[in-house]
Amino acid sequence: MAASTSTETKSASWWNYFFLYDGSKVKEEGDPTRAGICYFYPSQTLLDQQELLCGQIAGVVHCISDISGSPPTLIRLRKLKFAIKVDGDYLWVLGCAVELPDVSCQQFLGQLIGFFNFYNGPVSLAYKNCSQEELSAEWDTFIEQILKNTSDLHKIFTSLWNLDRTKVEPLLLLKAALILQTCQRSPHVLAGCILYKGLIVSTQLPPSLTAKVLLHRAAPRDQRIPTAGDVLQECGVALPPNVHIIPVFVTEEEATCLSEFPGEQMTSSPASPARFQECSARHLPKGALTDDAPGPEESTARTWAASPGPRLPDAARSNGRGENGHFSGCDLGSIQPTTLHSAARHEDPGLGCSPGKEPGLSRGKEDVDLSEIHIPEAQETETSSGYLTSSVCVPDGPGPCLKESISKESVNDSGNPEPRPPRAPPVGTAIRGLSPSAPDKLTQNGALEQRKDLPGDSSQAPSRRSRPLSLPHLDLRQRGAKLPLGGQGTEPCVDGVPENHPDSGLECQSSSADSLGNAPFADSTGSRLTPASRGGLVRKNLYTHSVKGLVLSLLAEEPLLGDSAAIEEVYHSSLASLNGLEVHLKETLPKDQPTAASRTYNFVHYDRIQNVLAANVPQVATPQDHRFLHAVSLMHADFAQLPSLYEMTARNASTAVYACCNPVQETYFQQLASAARSSGFPSPQDGVFSLPGRAKQKLLKHGVNLL
Amino acid sequence: MKCTLVATEGAEVLFYWTDEEFEESLRLKFSHSENEGEELPALEDQLSTLLAPLIISSMTMLEKLSDTYTCFSTENGKCLYVLHLFGECLFIAICGDSTEGEGDLRQQLRVLKYLFEVHFGLVTVDGQLIRKELRPPDLEQRVQVWEHFQSLLWTYSRLREQEQCFAVEAVERLIHPQLCELCIEALERHVIQAVNSSPARAGEEALHAFLLVHSKLLAFYSSHSASSLRPADLLALILLVQDLYPSEITADDDNTQPSLRRPWNSQNIPLQQTWNSRSSGPARSSAGTETDSFSLPEEYFTPAPSPGEQSSGSGSTVWLDGGTPPIDASQVQIAEDTLQMLIPGSPAVSSPRRIFLDASVKETYCPMVPHTMYCLPLWPGINMVLLTKSPSTPLALVLYQLLDGFSLLEKKLKEGQEAGSSLRSHPLMGDLRQRMDKFVKSRGGQEMQSTWLEFKTKAFSRSEPGSSWELLQACGKVKRQLCAIYRLSFLTTAPGRGGPQLPQHLQDQVQTLMQETLMDWKDFLLVKSRRNVTMVSYLEDFPGLVHFIYVDRSTGQMVAPSLSSSERTSSELGKGPLAAFVKTKVWSLIRLARRYLQKGYTTLLFQDGDFYCSYFLWFQNEMGYKLQIIEVPVLSDDSAPVGILGGDYYRKLLRYYSKGHPAEAVKCHELLALHLSVIPIDMLVQQVGELARRLWEASRVPLL
Repeated sequence: MAASTSTETKSASWWNYFFLYDGSKVKEEGDPTRAGICYFYPSQTLLDQQELLCGQIAGVVHCISDISGSPPTLIRLRKLKFAIKVDGDYLWVLGCAVELPDVSCQQFLGQLIGFFNFYNGPVSLAYKNCSQEELSAEWDTFIEQILKNTSDLHKIFTSLWNLDRTKVEPLLLLKAALILQTCQRSPHVLAGCILYKGLIVSTQLPPSLTAKVLLHRAAPRDQRIPTAGDVLQECGVALPPNVHIIPVFVTEEEATCLSEFPGEQMTSSPASPARFQECSARHLPKGALTDDAPGPEESTARTWAASPGPRLPDAARSNGRGENGHFSGCDLGSIQPTTLHSAARHEDPGLGCSPGKEPGLSRGKEDVDLSEIHIPEAQETETSSGYLTSSVCVPDGPGPCLKESISKESVNDSGNPEPRPPRAPPVGTAIRGLSPSAPDKLTQNGALEQRKDLPGDSSQAPSRRSRPLSLPHLDLRQRGAKLPLGGQGTEPCVDGVPENHPDSGLECQSSSADSLGNAPFADSTGSRLTPASRGGLVRKNLYTHSVKGLVLSLLAEEPLLGDSAAIEEVYHSSLASLNGLEVHLKETLPKDQPTAASRTYNFVHYDRIQNVLAANVPQVATPQDHRFLHAVSLMHADFAQLPSLYEMTARNASTAVYACCNPVQETYFQQLASAARSSGFPSPQDGVFSLPGRAKQKLLKHGVNLL
Repeated sequence: MKCTLVATEGAEVLFYWTDEEFEESLRLKFSHSENEGEELPALEDQLSTLLAPLIISSMTMLEKLSDTYTCFSTENGKCLYVLHLFGECLFIAICGDSTEGEGDLRQQLRVLKYLFEVHFGLVTVDGQLIRKELRPPDLEQRVQVWEHFQSLLWTYSRLREQEQCFAVEAVERLIHPQLCELCIEALERHVIQAVNSSPARAGEEALHAFLLVHSKLLAFYSSHSASSLRPADLLALILLVQDLYPSEITADDDNTQPSLRRPWNSQNIPLQQTWNSRSSGPARSSAGTETDSFSLPEEYFTPAPSPGEQSSGSGSTVWLDGGTPPIDASQVQIAEDTLQMLIPGSPAVSSPRRIFLDASVKETYCPMVPHTMYCLPLWPGINMVLLTKSPSTPLALVLYQLLDGFSLLEKKLKEGQEAGSSLRSHPLMGDLRQRMDKFVKSRGGQEMQSTWLEFKTKAFSRSEPGSSWELLQACGKVKRQLCAIYRLSFLTTAPGRGGPQLPQHLQDQVQTLMQETLMDWKDFLLVKSRRNVTMVSYLEDFPGLVHFIYVDRSTGQMVAPSLSSSERTSSELGKGPLAAFVKTKVWSLIRLARRYLQKGYTTLLFQDGDFYCSYFLWFQNEMGYKLQIIEVPVLSDDSAPVGILGGDYYRKLLRYYSKGHPAEAVKCHELLALHLSVIPIDMLVQQVGELARRLWEASRVPLL
């Protein structure tokens, strides 16, 4: 079911308005409301209408804040509802159809804001540095992606898109997890996820981050944004083919979460191997908690995935957005199209043609690779494969050991030219972490200057580069003040004093003071941060490597961008395995959905921790399916509101739906066979009351255990 | 932090109610912004200033977008604003402490609007006139009107929190067939017949009489000529009585009783005394409950606490002692404060009172027919209510029909149908013209006549027919004139304002007769009202059953074991925290069941902590044969909440269902049950079915 859906892109009936309004531009009596409108969707809305909505909503938001002391988060009209988020002078508003659950409306808004911040940084800064048109194009892309990929069920849960695990060979999921772990051993790399055709295969990231990464692959961003490849090539650092590195911004919570990943711990603390295991074991449940606890803020950031089409970078180019110009001038442009086009051709028909590129490199080797994993670990992988895909929620147990032992194999098998031991020698890592820092800065500066000269990008390139340079200082200042421990892992290389980090937050503060001294960087680019500008964002790099339908996305510390050795290492340690995984996924994934006729029941199984769904509701819903969805949306809202609610059965004249939930999951079940009409009078013969039993029985084969 | 406000489009405050916290927060806001030493603006002005942007914006949205705000909520629903536009008045309810949900606030607004209708009848149809009623230019009068409705709102909130009958919105019966029969006979002979055969009744005709023990109905009798009373109206009357003579579950000795009995018999009960009795009323009411409960062997109870620990302090202290939550106590304080400000003899609050209820007049259904309500207290906690109609009732029907006709015409004009010839030839128009001509001839004053003439020239003139906008204007004027006549006939000359009413001696007479009849029973009744349905037998027959509420929606009556969380009195569920806990579960079951019914689900079963909660709605015919369930309409969030006070959901539901069953009388029943979650589901369902069957058998005992 997790495939991407419908054709509705524009004018979705449930998504009416979205706008960003800057109240600081409309202060005086005479200021026109339009001056404050930063972005308005749909853009074809009459300006008068735009002004009406912005003005009125901003007005009542102010009025309510005045009376209640806090701004409204939701405004409901008879036919519309607006999710509201106030950020200083900025007001974000998402208008949805009234049928959409309140929570979903707010989550969609949170998600949109999350995406924007992830790729563009704080809104005030983004609008200072980039033109409104550019950012509007960005918004358009986000919205388009959301609308294109959101099915009825996803509207209710605003969940991430994931592969149906029951339809994939567990070993492949295991392999994906191993690739991620291998990459984590490379310097700078924090954690990542692997996507196949826009669906999550395996992720180490908290759901909010996975969501953002998912959308990136969907969004044809490289058409406007100078790819890292361009930059690096200009200054002599070449990126491997199909690899992109861009700067991104994560929230402080996300950064904290990332910094606790095993790989990072290993880099910063040259302790015993036991330490590593301990860390990973400790981290996993914690990741689960951080996702669960922060409430709406955190959980709002969820995702949609891409449809196969435009998710590919080159597909966007073929969309003919007319911004391709600057690619022609780059070396990268000549390298990429061939690979990508062939990838696209193979992916869309999905008929199992042999890969067009690098066939020699992957096929044979991959088979060997897999089988080699298979033989030694067969027993354990069978039992723990489910767990490995859901790496975030696995509590403890033999996990880390298993992973380790396997990862040894996979690293060795993956055709890495420089096989590294699974536990990188601490000293070596430290050095590696230390050395790139200085060159990195140089590189960035160099890149900055170079970009300015580029003809196609003259408008945006300087600002793009300037942001990354100035932002860390802001972050440091903030973190130094209120969150001494939070950002430890995020700065190790910027200062070039990685030794300090494992020890204490005090050191970190001093080092942040150091980097404050580097403020001229920010000044030189002309984007000085005011203390008032929103922060809480930490800069990272996003490394993406696409192999046809498969995408490896890694979040890394910033120095990665300038560290060609590290990039090479990540690339080579994963390339072969990725190729192999892609081929196997293509072969194993079933192409067709179960037909409606064969269904005798509907179910939805929602993982609250990872924010993913398993379900068998078809894309084209029948009336009975609609009744199911209606009940699910009601019950989902009640489960969220009433923590003591466990089980629920609701029935009307035409259907009955059973639901149960616990702290980590929610399950909904509907029998499709039309039951004999009853009177509604309580009677033990009534089939409604045997629903729980049937659900337990039927869902077992979907891997859902309700017993 | 609660506030309820009614305002005009121009943000003029027509009514407000705030709790102390909200008032305090307003004071803080305005003391900051105002200059030192300057007097703070009046509360209504503060509210108007603060909320004006909201009100004006919602009008702007309506005008420009044909859509308007219904709800605002801040982070996690902590602060909730619910808005509803009734005609030209915007109703706003604010709750700042997440104690009430959207449904609660929406219901509160609907109930407030309903109370306006009960008090002002069809005058509510006209925006200008109702504005005058709710906001009299005379400041003193305005305070009186507002305080009256503030007190009613407060009473309503209290009842909804404490009484199951207000939580599910159905009339709760006292189950005692023998006593019931006795009372009905007494009501018939000593009240209805006595009044109607008295030459002194001055044209007033007694229609209904009923007895209330606290908020429960003991017996009800209607004269043969009377049409039936809607359950919603009956519940509203109970609310009015509870507002006049509130009963509280507290314990006190009955020393105060003899001295306080006199005021009840005196002629026009001065307001001051009403208020006195109000503050000490609770104490007296429960006195009987506790002391006399010993003499009732058939009841299952725990012994009452000794009288020694009972305090005889002021009303509010007694309430506090009675285990009322602190929030309530503060509200009580407010209510009493407001009451003390009232001037004795205020026409708005005294009894008898003019009220407007739905009825049939000459076989024709007519909403908001003027009645006079006499509330005659027999003993604290036991009241008799007598409803009469005046000889001028037919006028109400004529006015209603004319207003209805013009409203229909207005609607057609607004929809853009062409004025002039097509309108003139409309059958509705001809009929309306004829009736209006007749009415103006017989009753119309100077002004009415000229307005009607103006309309006729615009609508029927062949030479220069008016535009539809002009017609709308004229139509509005005619309606206003009609409303003004309605107001003049039924409100200005209301019994409370010196209009005709039953002579006092007649009132005293029926009161005394009823007292004599029930003298031997009064103590029993007071206890019975607290222990209506004992759980003892149910506990044996239905192990695991904790509580239930059974509602017959056709008659609007409910039956349930008592559920009181007071410290002094114990219900079958024990007392104190346990009972209070069960009560919160029951209330949340009611809320959830209503929510799902609103969304079309007629059966709901869920596990909440250690309890299984179940809800069933079904239809059956008079013989008890179960009818097939149908698709129940799915309503939007801003529609009237399920209930009877704010829109009479069940009446509509029954009408909707009956369309498919024209041949038989359809009955609608609801059962809510709370079980321990260790009970297997099939056993639970079996129990609930059996319980429903038994309760239905029991409910066939005649009452009316």
